[in-house]
Amino acid sequence: MNAPEIQIKNVSMVYPVNNGEDIVALNDVNLDIQEGEFISLLGPSGCGKTTLLRIIADLNKPTSGSVSIRGQSPRDIRLQRKNGIVFQTPVLYDWRTVRRNICMPMEIMGVPKKERTARINQMLDLVELRDFGDKYPFELSGGMQQRVGIARALALNPEFLLMDEPFSALDEFTREKLNEDLLSIWSKTKKTVIFVTHNIPESVFLSDRVVVLSPHPGRISAIVDINLPRPRNNSIRETPEFYDYVTKIRRSFEGV
Amino acid sequence: MISKKEQRIVAIVWIIGIIVVWELLSFLLKNVIHDPMAATKLPYLHTVAMTFFENWKTLLEAGAVTFSRAAIGFALGASVGIILAVLMSLSKTMERIAFPYLIVSQMIPVLGLAPIIFNIVRDMNVSRIFIAAYITFFPVAVNMLSGLKSVEQDKKDLLFSISANKFKVYQKLMFPYSMSYLFTGLKIAAPMAVTASILVDMLGSQSGIGVKILYSLYSNSTNIFWASVFTSAFMGIISFYIVIFAERLCLPWQNAVPGKEGVRA
Repeated sequence: MNAPEIQIKNVSMVYPVNNGEDIVALNDVNLDIQEGEFISLLGPSGCGKTTLLRIIADLNKPTSGSVSIRGQSPRDIRLQRKNGIVFQTPVLYDWRTVRRNICMPMEIMGVPKKERTARINQMLDLVELRDFGDKYPFELSGGMQQRVGIARALALNPEFLLMDEPFSALDEFTREKLNEDLLSIWSKTKKTVIFVTHNIPESVFLSDRVVVLSPHPGRISAIVDINLPRPRNNSIRETPEFYDYVTKIRRSFEGV
Repeated sequence: MISKKEQRIVAIVWIIGIIVVWELLSFLLKNVIHDPMAATKLPYLHTVAMTFFENWKTLLEAGAVTFSRAAIGFALGASVGIILAVLMSLSKTMERIAFPYLIVSQMIPVLGLAPIIFNIVRDMNVSRIFIAAYITFFPVAVNMLSGLKSVEQDKKDLLFSISANKFKVYQKLMFPYSMSYLFTGLKIAAPMAVTASILVDMLGSQSGIGVKILYSLYSNSTNIFWASVFTSAFMGIISFYIVIFAERLCLPWQNAVPGKEGVRA
């Protein structure tokens, strides 16, 4: 086995609170992530899953411990613009059309104009929004907006796709559809994906491994390998194996 | 929500109502109460309108003098306001230093400030422009700053995650985001700049609509007085609508409401 691509060692995150009792968002977390792996961080709110993602993305600094990504610090990786981030809300810029939203990171990067147009078209195809390029975000449904968010994250061709509960605000039908879409995008792009969610079936459906976190203090309580065959589509949700994984993970919460 | 058509009907009813009430009051004053000063206190609206059309050229000329100075002052004040807002958003220290003085600046009455400025610069145009700018910068700075400060953290995180520099953050996010706030400030400031400019006219200018108001008041030419007041009011309203028009041009996504397409045809 190769050396892990991302190594998280003894990471702790403590938020000081005024009344003296600090909040321990993460307590001594250790995790190795392989290249090209689809990994989910699963847990109830307050378990520190988003904090862990933000530390990997260099949006937060851990109180102690270290994260090494290909032997470099998260800051180095961020400065090299190797992360594509999808947030819980689409975080689109209202004053830009879909095309120009997807274009925005490329403008920051200074990608040549010709290349941008080709790349935008490619991204619109990928997230199946070909006919919506010239619409403004408010003209799109929530699911479509989130797809624009994904397209924008992928536009820079990042090496890591970091997703923070990207589908949690969507209804169940849209969510399952987008889960399937995400897997097909992932199979085409082969990024390392770190996916934060509080939805057990979603994590099972998507992941190679599900990292279960529990709160107070936030820590890893189980890591479950999902050995379901790929490519997966939504019919796999009806198989007994799928059900077994969901049950297993649910029980791991009850044990805490 | 009332429709565009209903809005228009409401506006027309209001205008007709005001005209009727005005004419009625003038009639009461003159023919029922037999006030000998009736024509001075409240002349018939139609005679005011006739005076306006008889004198429209001089009125518009006077208006244009005042309005153009107000516009220059407005542009200057808006620029200063925007720069101040950006500086204050860049540095907390700067905000703490500058903000109290901004508030204090608004406590100095323009009526007192205008003669002081005129005494210093000895130039009516410069005074008009300065006072219009002075009135403008505050609402623009405050609104722009509140826009810059209300940008969501997620939107900033996104740019941080692709390590955009400060300049790019302002260019791509902070400025476009704050535009609607900026326009709120501009909408407040525009009629105020016009009013301020008219006020400076009255301090002994040779031209401008404020001079017309003042002289007609002294010389008892009531119809010209009212016609000038109406011209002034129009100037304020027009300044407001120019800003609204500019907002429509600059922020097309603001006024576009889902499903609105096709309705226009």
